Amino acid sequence: MSAEALAGLPLRAEGVTAGYGGDPVIRGITMGADPGQVVSLVGPNGSGKSTLLKSLVGVLRISSGTVTVGGRRITNLAPEEIARASVGYVPQVDDVFAPLTVRENLEMGGYLLPRGQLAERIERVLAVFPRLSGLLGRSAGRLSGGERKMLAMGRVLMLDPGVFLLDEPTASLAPAVAGALLHDHVRGLAAGGASVVVVEQRAKAVLAISDLTYVLGGGEVRMVGTPAELSSSPAFVDSFLGGHARPAVPGDG
Amino acid sequence: MNQLYLLNLLIYAAVDAMACLGLNQQFGVSGVTNFGFIIFQAAGGYAAAILALPRDTAYGGFQSYAGGWHLPFPVPWIGAAAAGALVALPFTFLFGRRLRGDFAAVGLLVTAVLLNLLVTNYRPFLNGDAGLSLIPQPLQGEYNPQLAGYQWALAAVAIVICLGVYLFVRRVTESPYGRSLRAMRENDVVADSLGKNLLSMRTAMLVTGGAIAGLSGGILVSYITTWSPAAWGYAETVVLFAAVIIGGAGNHLGAILGAILVPVGFEEVTRYIPTSNNLPPNLIPSLEWVAIGLLIVVFLWLRPQGILPERTRVIAAPGLASRARPGGDGAARAGGDGAARAGADGAEGPGGRAAMAGGPPPAAPAGATVLEVAHLVRDFGGVRAVSDVSFGVRSGTLTGLIGPNGAGKSTLLAVLAGTLPASSGRVIYLGQDITPLPAFRRARAGLVRTFQLASEFKRLTVLENLLSAVPGHRGDSLHGAMLGRRYWRADESAAAARAWALLQRFGLAEAANEHAGDLSGGQRRLVEIMRALMAEPRMLLLDEPMAGVHPRLARQIGRELVALCAEGMTILMVEHELAIMDEFCDPVLVMAEGALLAEGNMAELRARQEVVEAYLVG
Amino acid sequence: MAAGRRERRRGQPGRRGFSGVPAKTRSVFAGWDPSSPVAGRSDSGPGFAGDAGGAGTGWHPSGGGGLVSLFLASIGFGLVTSSVLAIAAVGFTLQFGVTDVLNLAFGAIMIFGAYVAYLVNQAGGSVWTGLVAAMAASSLVSVLLNAGVYTPFQRRGASPITMVIVSLGMTLIIEFGVQAVSGGTAVSYAMNSGSTFKAGGLILTWVQVVIMILSVLVMVGVHVLLRYTKLGKAMRATAANRTLARNCGIRTSRVITLTWALTGALCGLAGTVFAIDAGSFDATATDLFLVLILAAVFLGGPGQPYGAMLGALVIGLATEVSAVFIPADYKYVVGFVALLVMLGVRPTGLLGQRA
Repeated sequence: MSAEALAGLPLRAEGVTAGYGGDPVIRGITMGADPGQVVSLVGPNGSGKSTLLKSLVGVLRISSGTVTVGGRRITNLAPEEIARASVGYVPQVDDVFAPLTVRENLEMGGYLLPRGQLAERIERVLAVFPRLSGLLGRSAGRLSGGERKMLAMGRVLMLDPGVFLLDEPTASLAPAVAGALLHDHVRGLAAGGASVVVVEQRAKAVLAISDLTYVLGGGEVRMVGTPAELSSSPAFVDSFLGGHARPAVPGDG
Repeated sequence: MNQLYLLNLLIYAAVDAMACLGLNQQFGVSGVTNFGFIIFQAAGGYAAAILALPRDTAYGGFQSYAGGWHLPFPVPWIGAAAAGALVALPFTFLFGRRLRGDFAAVGLLVTAVLLNLLVTNYRPFLNGDAGLSLIPQPLQGEYNPQLAGYQWALAAVAIVICLGVYLFVRRVTESPYGRSLRAMRENDVVADSLGKNLLSMRTAMLVTGGAIAGLSGGILVSYITTWSPAAWGYAETVVLFAAVIIGGAGNHLGAILGAILVPVGFEEVTRYIPTSNNLPPNLIPSLEWVAIGLLIVVFLWLRPQGILPERTRVIAAPGLASRARPGGDGAARAGGDGAARAGADGAEGPGGRAAMAGGPPPAAPAGATVLEVAHLVRDFGGVRAVSDVSFGVRSGTLTGLIGPNGAGKSTLLAVLAGTLPASSGRVIYLGQDITPLPAFRRARAGLVRTFQLASEFKRLTVLENLLSAVPGHRGDSLHGAMLGRRYWRADESAAAARAWALLQRFGLAEAANEHAGDLSGGQRRLVEIMRALMAEPRMLLLDEPMAGVHPRLARQIGRELVALCAEGMTILMVEHELAIMDEFCDPVLVMAEGALLAEGNMAELRARQEVVEAYLVG
Repeated sequence: MAAGRRERRRGQPGRRGFSGVPAKTRSVFAGWDPSSPVAGRSDSGPGFAGDAGGAGTGWHPSGGGGLVSLFLASIGFGLVTSSVLAIAAVGFTLQFGVTDVLNLAFGAIMIFGAYVAYLVNQAGGSVWTGLVAAMAASSLVSVLLNAGVYTPFQRRGASPITMVIVSLGMTLIIEFGVQAVSGGTAVSYAMNSGSTFKAGGLILTWVQVVIMILSVLVMVGVHVLLRYTKLGKAMRATAANRTLARNCGIRTSRVITLTWALTGALCGLAGTVFAIDAGSFDATATDLFLVLILAAVFLGGPGQPYGAMLGALVIGLATEVSAVFIPADYKYVVGFVALLVMLGVRPTGLLGQRA
């Protein structure tokens, strides 16, 4: 991992099919993200969003399809090798090392860094998340929800990966905090040059910061488009609520 | 000389087989992993000894022990069985706690070692380390125990008793009660939700297994006339577990086979290994232990089901019933034992039930409130998963429950079913406050739930899965099982007929005698729904019943559920597929962030801004 | 001497180490002399601090303040027991923390190490050289055990109960494998226990002091490893959340192998100092000691190394000090009861967070 890899890496997933061992949960998913882009994945429960992320980082097995990062194939590599391929992943739950301190969590995030760079990188991450500076000695299990998410993201930031994968980062956060996290930090990651893929339940909120959005349903990609295109499409609302096309659309009185 | 050797073999075989049968009943059939098992045999041995021995002042007083009532045969053996059963009672409380399996196992092993240590060192109780000796043998006043004839008689009695034990455990295991035990072994939480009283079943198994082990100890003691702590170290439990695993856990013939192969056969084989003074002393006994350890590990790796695996119970379809199940069906059902059901009405005819394969006629008139929820709260780990939820469910409705991820729907269902306790608030079912009731009692009252994740009993067949849910089955208690097939045959036939009808209705009749764990995801979902229906619910709580099911099949299920509601059933269903809600459910409740957001049919809800927001905003 | 199951069950006495019956055999049929001394420290199970022979000297109550000096002496023994226990408990708990397996074969590998040291000792080396050999050998065996047995079973999805049965099977293989080679007789190291060291009421030999120093060094070393080295932090991370550790790029399988190698070495060390302190030992000597290890581990919380140190201190002292007040034969009971209480009341331990 060289220091000038502040440039992101493009992520491509082609025809990915994966599941938890039995029948596949996601089928034939094709998507991608480019450096500097925020790409969001939305959709109702059970549509396979988390499953897709987990299969991209090697936690779940992909039965068919390929995944590449910067042109390099990472399909079904072990998670630790995918991390070495410059992919950073923030899971939805169990996202920090609870018994370790905040500082130690960051150090683990920087596990792959050469020794000399560690301290400097920590400083840089603390500059992005100043709140963590006062908490370095505290054990991660004792942080509040928002602080914990910041630590989880900071941990991934330590590696300065070319691709960020975030699984419902705002899941347990209050709406105000959620908005700030998405706006300032998630958007900020892309601003730093990386390719960012965000899975979210809060479709409206994440649409606001996305360059491109995939709508999943039933394990497949149902729609793709920019936020502007999607918001004005009745089919978009329906894919969440099922049934026939309805005129009621977010933003209408 | 040869005769004595054979006798020895037979008696040890009988005693070890009995012990293995008892352990198999606990561990192999019921999933009660009792690493303190040897204690029960020890208690039996000691009890028989102190009942048979004269006061400890006899023979010059070289032993010191409690008791010594010099009672005649068969009192010592009866006492041995009783002691085994009594000692088992305190163990039941160890199994109630939700302790990790391996921690509990360690605790039980340690208990066995501790008791051994205490008995070894506290001499006045059972003569400590030296143990008891010169224990009188049965009827040794009338007969000479040294004669071959006597010993053959003893061996014969031991074998007969062992046979009796085999028939007993077989009878229990092949009954509907045995089916419930196996269901408990497969998935105790689900068994609980289907109305099985886990504590009572575990206690029963510990006590009966304890009695069997105790009796085996008593018989052994009568033969070898001594009993000391050396005979029941914790390693004996390991040997017995090895025997049961190798022979085949869950199969009683396997347990006997294991007993013959491991504790007995193994030992005897080593007799034929030539020894010489050049070898280190104790080589053979040590290698025996090494070999037992190897056998355990190798079998668990290569053939965990054992040499004689648990049999698949095949139940014939009703068309062939005349051969497989003589006696026919349709006999009116008695109330069954112990399965008290709230508001049970007496007018339960078999005809109506067999035709509908659903619940009994509703006690409440259509439109009455079956379930009422008042200010229900559930906190866990600092998070309020269910927040002041209040609503009512009317009889005969198929009510939907929807909401985004993390809204608390599954938690709410779990609290309603009793799987999780409420932090505050009340649940009122058919007019009764059931908030303090545990899950199995709610199920018996007709409030039955299904689970989101796979919860079929994997090693039971599809048909057994369905039959396991039948409430009030005469054969579904230890007492009923012991009375034998004739006692519960009628109930079983009636239940089987219902089950087959359901299987036909849902198109799974072909798979009836396959292990439920071998089916596809969608099929397993169906099994779960059918099983819930077999429980004769008045109200069903369904947690994502259509998940992973083919859309066409999902629609079929939906239509069945609507039909059931038309016949009087009440259903509350959590689902993601909103198209399903559209087509089948009315009303629909929407939850978000633990609270109830709105109620209405889908058309109304879609038009409501806050519902749309909840789904899109989160 | 040590009879197999057969003899024992046919009514012959036999030494069946698992029951903690000491080396004396008594033939019931030959009659028994009730006046022979039964109680006393020499009979309290397989060798332990202060027992017959060995590096401990037994206690010599000074004339006047009998109970006080007994008490102080027992504290001394307690500290030695705690020292041995601490090394073992820390190793055991780290294995559990990182792999989620209760390695009940730990005691067997301890005594295996002790025997390796014995072989070196017999071949002319000093016990301390043997100690190093024991650490190396136990380290290797532990790594093989995890890689060859525990990991394959876990990968198959074996339940915790199955893992317990597997580890019991491995215990039999290792322990009686040692016994098969060594025979059943008790052996001792050829060593000089050194002069006695008296401080206050404490009476200890120099060897015992060395054991205590070794233990402290190990504690400090473990502390430094876990808090200050990259590997130690990776171990803690792997124990806390293996998947997340992998997401950070940590090669967890390598970390786990190293953990077993290190804790295996601690196991060999613990076994050798145990044997040194006990004086004489045979293959079944650690059977009861394993329960004390479990007690210390569960007292502090399974998976918590500092908890294990605390637990070792408490259990070691409690065990020896209790011998002042209750008959020595029962001193293990303290450990057993402590373990059962912890399992029943607070399985996460005093310091633990893991459920």
